[in-house]
Amino acid sequence: MENLVIEETKYTPKISLDKNGIVSMVGKSYPENTFEFYEPVMEWIREYFKSENKKFTLNMEITYFNSSSSKLFFDLFDLIEEHNSEDIEVNWIYDEENESALEAGEDFQDDFEGLKINLVKK
Amino acid sequence: MDISQIQKLVEDDGIVFIGYGGFLSQALISAMTEALEKEAEINDIGMGVSSSIFTVFIELSQNMMNYSKSILKDCRDIFPGGLIVVSRDSSGSSYYIHSQNIISIEDKEKIEPKLKEIKSLDRDGIKAKYKELRRSGKNTHGKGGGIGFYEIAKRCDSIEYDFKEINSDKLYFHIKTTIKLTKKGEE
Repeated sequence: MENLVIEETKYTPKISLDKNGIVSMVGKSYPENTFEFYEPVMEWIREYFKSENKKFTLNMEITYFNSSSSKLFFDLFDLIEEHNSEDIEVNWIYDEENESALEAGEDFQDDFEGLKINLVKK
Repeated sequence: MDISQIQKLVEDDGIVFIGYGGFLSQALISAMTEALEKEAEINDIGMGVSSSIFTVFIELSQNMMNYSKSILKDCRDIFPGGLIVVSRDSSGSSYYIHSQNIISIEDKEKIEPKLKEIKSLDRDGIKAKYKELRRSGKNTHGKGGGIGFYEIAKRCDSIEYDFKEINSDKLYFHIKTTIKLTKKGEE
């Protein structure tokens, strides 16, 4: 596996995919074609789960996002949950003042009860 | 054109900006979102409320952009431009985001039941429906996965809409959303 970095734009987050199993997304997310935009990320993660490496951490720090990104994140968590183990965790990082981001994180927690999603105050 | 009339309109109605005309592009939406970020910063609007304003604005504008593109792609005889207005009331306690574009009667029939349902639901109901649709739409790669209006409803304090007939097959579709502010320090 190779590391992959996708630079931030005005409407997409900075995404770093590290071959040691650490993926982070930081910024905003409202691309025009969300599923096309995130496909390389989803593909990289699918490949990662085929590898020997078991440890996986996703750090999400998204300030705001559109509804198709919300759907995409759901699909992403679903993919992660399929490979769920005690070595897998998601950190949903939010600013204390951003109650909308906190609420979004709580909604994902409700939807993926089996997955370790930590709500992390910045 | 008398620009002073536009100036008066902007001042009287607390308009933050109007985007009008041809096509809403992603670049334009992103630039307007940046302007809204500046507005939120200058007016010291809390992060939670401001991110709701940005989300509703983006959702409404991307809706119009996607609709315009489908019109052009299918060569339909509908004007593809739209109107988006962001304004605030004089006391500075609420923001309003309006969008208006021309749609066909058939599209009205698809949109109206969703909006009627949203109006009939309370906050928890909207949230439950949003989550249900997000879950059931798994692997559907539609632009918004059908949850756009629910995203808007979840983020704003009220949503109003109307359809104004143009002729037997077209009408104006107008949505007005209200987002109330909770200023920092008052929470």
